[in-house]
Amino acid sequence: MATKDIGPKSPLTKTGEAAVGYVDERSGVTTGAKWFLFRNIPKETSWFQTLGFTAMVLFALQAITGVILAMYYRPDTNGAFQSIDHITNEVTWGWLVRGMHKWGASAMIIVVFLHLGRVFIFGSYKYPRELTWVTGALLLVMTMFMGLTGYLLVWDQKAYWATVVAVNITASAPILGPYVADVLRAGPEFGPDTLSRFYSIHMLVIPGGMATFIGLHLFFVSKLGITEPPYSKRRMKVERQEAEARAAAEAERLPYGRRQVTAAPGATPSTPAREEVRS
Amino acid sequence: MADSHEEHGSGVSGGQYLGPTAHTSEPVADPHDDPAYVTRTKFLSGVAVLTGAVMGAAILVPVVGFAVADTVKEEDWRWVDIGPLSDFPEGVTSVAVSGPFPESDRRAFIRHQDNSIIAIWNRCAHLGCPSSYSQGSDSYTCPCHGGSYDSLGRVIAGPPPRPLDRFDVKLVTPAGQDVAKTTSPAEGVSTRGAAPDSRVLVGIAFSIDEDQNPYRLHGPGEEVTGVLANLYPF
Repeated sequence: MATKDIGPKSPLTKTGEAAVGYVDERSGVTTGAKWFLFRNIPKETSWFQTLGFTAMVLFALQAITGVILAMYYRPDTNGAFQSIDHITNEVTWGWLVRGMHKWGASAMIIVVFLHLGRVFIFGSYKYPRELTWVTGALLLVMTMFMGLTGYLLVWDQKAYWATVVAVNITASAPILGPYVADVLRAGPEFGPDTLSRFYSIHMLVIPGGMATFIGLHLFFVSKLGITEPPYSKRRMKVERQEAEARAAAEAERLPYGRRQVTAAPGATPSTPAREEVRS
Repeated sequence: MADSHEEHGSGVSGGQYLGPTAHTSEPVADPHDDPAYVTRTKFLSGVAVLTGAVMGAAILVPVVGFAVADTVKEEDWRWVDIGPLSDFPEGVTSVAVSGPFPESDRRAFIRHQDNSIIAIWNRCAHLGCPSSYSQGSDSYTCPCHGGSYDSLGRVIAGPPPRPLDRFDVKLVTPAGQDVAKTTSPAEGVSTRGAAPDSRVLVGIAFSIDEDQNPYRLHGPGEEVTGVLANLYPF
């Protein structure tokens, strides 16, 4: 096997290494990247554990296509639908970018729920990963809210009345429901302010919150590592041993019935007294 | 025996020396020992926290107020002129706009029958979709979840928790003098003897129960009677 790292380095390699070295010396970014990327993972990690990353990629897709769509979209009641029509039918590849944003939204909801189910079924939310679950639950709420606010922006009859119904469902929550609905629709009725408010929430408020919480979520995942699946051979062995130990301990503690007590010769083999069990 | 030892003044009791010593340290009064004493560090930390809180509030209070205050205001209802009485002939249900926003989707079914006018809001009492009137069955139906109402807006079928809401109606002369006002939601405003050029005005909306008793305006999905009406106290 020939050794390749001898002799003078090419200027390109030298420059690259110098650049990385310059940044790393001042930021420690290499350590951070290694800490984040090169983690030990359990033996039986499989495609099931890729759903969270898929959801994150879909978020990135939504962010990128959304930024482009915002260049053509107009959030006013007279121009909204026309601008959607313009994007879909006139702008080059507008149909494609809008389609990616629309179908990406549905895909994201599906993948997020699959990810939720995977975490639940694998028991990955248990100690010490409760905060990962909590941040994930907040991300779920924000994802759903993105769905609600984005749906209205098309401003056709379906979008309008579906959102009217959704906001009125919010309003029917006890005590504070009517106020939350008023704040959402910026008054007692849907109007121009509702559209721009939903647009602002959809493209500024929630994405900022989601980016923050995705960062937190990833920090927890990196810090705590990922769990073994419940069918992991090692975990099943540990659990079996634990169950046996627990059963043995219970048998020790139980006063009656469970454990056979060696009786003295001639004694009646009836229910032993508590002291006899302990001896 | 112990007493006799002390009388001797030997200074030894139980192995501990109690006699005179070369130096006894006086307790020093140090204000830092008092947990309530405010040091320079504590004072400056407090000032920093307080300044931060004031600056944060100075930014957040206007921003949140700006985003929320106007949206939860009581609606400013006013009378809306929807045309002369001759536009609403006896026995015909027609459609007009009401509310403070002319561009809003509020529609009223003006129902003129037996010399009396009532105005039924088309907003479904279930979740706010627009109900439509069907001439043949003389009833209102909502396309969203199948709510169905009779000719006076009372629930026949489907999920709505209460009848369709009403608008207040009155008749005025073209000059603006009141001719007739709504006496009760069930009776509406009487058109008996009113001139055909009287103007029909539609005003504040209110909710009704199945017996057409008036209640303050409720949102879609809210009960006006029964236990569940208590869920919306404000």
